[in-house]
Amino acid sequence: MTNKTRYTACMGLALSAGLLAGCVQVGAQNDEKRDFTKMSPEEYADYLIFESDSFNLAQEVQEGGTARERMQQDELQRLCSETRNRPHGEIATRIVTMARASFQYPEDGIQLGDWEKGRELARSGYGFRIGHNYDNPERTVGGNCYACHQMDPEELAYGNIGPSLSNYGELRGNTEAVRRFVYEMIYNPHAYFPCTSMPRMGHNEFLTQDSISHIMAYLLDAESPVNARKKDPDAEVDPAAAPSGDTGF
Amino acid sequence: MFKHVLIATALAGSVVGGAAASDSPYLTGREQLMMLADDNPAELTEWRGEDLYHEPRGPRNVSLEQCDFGLGPGVLEGAYVQMPRYFEDTGRVMDLESRIIHCMKTLQGFTEEDDPVARKHSSDTREADLVAIYTYVAAQSNGMAWNPPMDHPMERLTRDAGEVLFHRRAGSMDFGCVSCHSEPRKRIRLSFLPVTSNQEEWSKAISWPAYRIGHGVVRSSQHRVRGCYYQMRQAGVKFGSDASIAILSYWTDQARGGEATLPDLKR
Repeated sequence: MTNKTRYTACMGLALSAGLLAGCVQVGAQNDEKRDFTKMSPEEYADYLIFESDSFNLAQEVQEGGTARERMQQDELQRLCSETRNRPHGEIATRIVTMARASFQYPEDGIQLGDWEKGRELARSGYGFRIGHNYDNPERTVGGNCYACHQMDPEELAYGNIGPSLSNYGELRGNTEAVRRFVYEMIYNPHAYFPCTSMPRMGHNEFLTQDSISHIMAYLLDAESPVNARKKDPDAEVDPAAAPSGDTGF
Repeated sequence: MFKHVLIATALAGSVVGGAAASDSPYLTGREQLMMLADDNPAELTEWRGEDLYHEPRGPRNVSLEQCDFGLGPGVLEGAYVQMPRYFEDTGRVMDLESRIIHCMKTLQGFTEEDDPVARKHSSDTREADLVAIYTYVAAQSNGMAWNPPMDHPMERLTRDAGEVLFHRRAGSMDFGCVSCHSEPRKRIRLSFLPVTSNQEEWSKAISWPAYRIGHGVVRSSQHRVRGCYYQMRQAGVKFGSDASIAILSYWTDQARGGEATLPDLKR
């Protein structure tokens, strides 16, 4: 056991059993007495995540590596957390610049896939969950779009964290510019909305290129039920007007 | 069977709708739940917990009546709304669930492997003793104001670190707790989400234990935290870990002064 790991184990024990005095001697080779109350909240939060044995960090994950890497923030995650998702000025510019630089396009151009497959992907929230009930990596990962967006106007169980996408293709058309925008929004939406809640489905390699093309078809294909009805757009974009009695059933 | 009757009634009610006492959709939906269910099935759990609390158990054959939840041995009234708190005897900030386990081990002599300690959550076929005792102790704070102590430096640091964790985005979907609990009137699919900024809403939301209609059993705050980290695609948070208690400390502090509903009934 190295000094460092011994010290870490010791601190875990100290925190859980109040044996700080006894522990400092064991860890004394490290020559550092760790007084938690001298830590900033950020330092203590980091300690809690990575050193306090609070998380199952050793669990293997489907993208390779372990859950520890999942907990490490990249620059975007860090900047948005620090600014409480309200980045201003230079930071917002930096986020947008990083997001634009992250775009990778399909080799054969941005094309629409199969809207029926897209419908299933939009409904599914399966994939990448770990911990006590590990999602099977062999199964197709869903985009979970309905958790936050209205899409097919006939589907009642939609969330409203994101804007309604009903009649998306009907309203915007299926031009190359629209396809490019939709692809980029799915790939890394921070290029347009810095620190949005929406996941970076492409950049994080959460969805495959194939899956993105199918979801895009669900949004833009004229045959898709998302575009099946020509409705007054004003009638459906106000999520606050949703009936109040339908919580979770 | 009770579960199914309840769901059927709630479904019927959600179609009928009703007069809204609050403009919070989270609370309105919940109010309908309460109106429709005169009896919260969690009461059965509470009664069983009362028996388990007073019954001599474990290798030492003693009850939990001398367990100190922060207000002195055996004082249950108001103890839960004043947790998590720092305990001198362990040198840790502890939540109610961890504290019950601590007493099961130190007073009754149970070990980590014994079922009353090992079984943290209930299943369809078996209710965890821990959940029952937790429900009984928590119910002794019903109707009181959330009031977690912030006297000890570790209590304050734990809360402040919990705030950092709450806002910390990470993992495959870039989520943090804040992704779902910051903007009012939002829902995931059909489930309205409570926000920290609405005290009435948040005070109800953190009122665990609660009978979850969709699960058919009583769930705890530790179960809620585990579920959130799971959905966020972040690492699995361990039961009673210091990080989980930091989250609880921050969320309880955010409900300070609001009324606790114990046990609660949730979707």
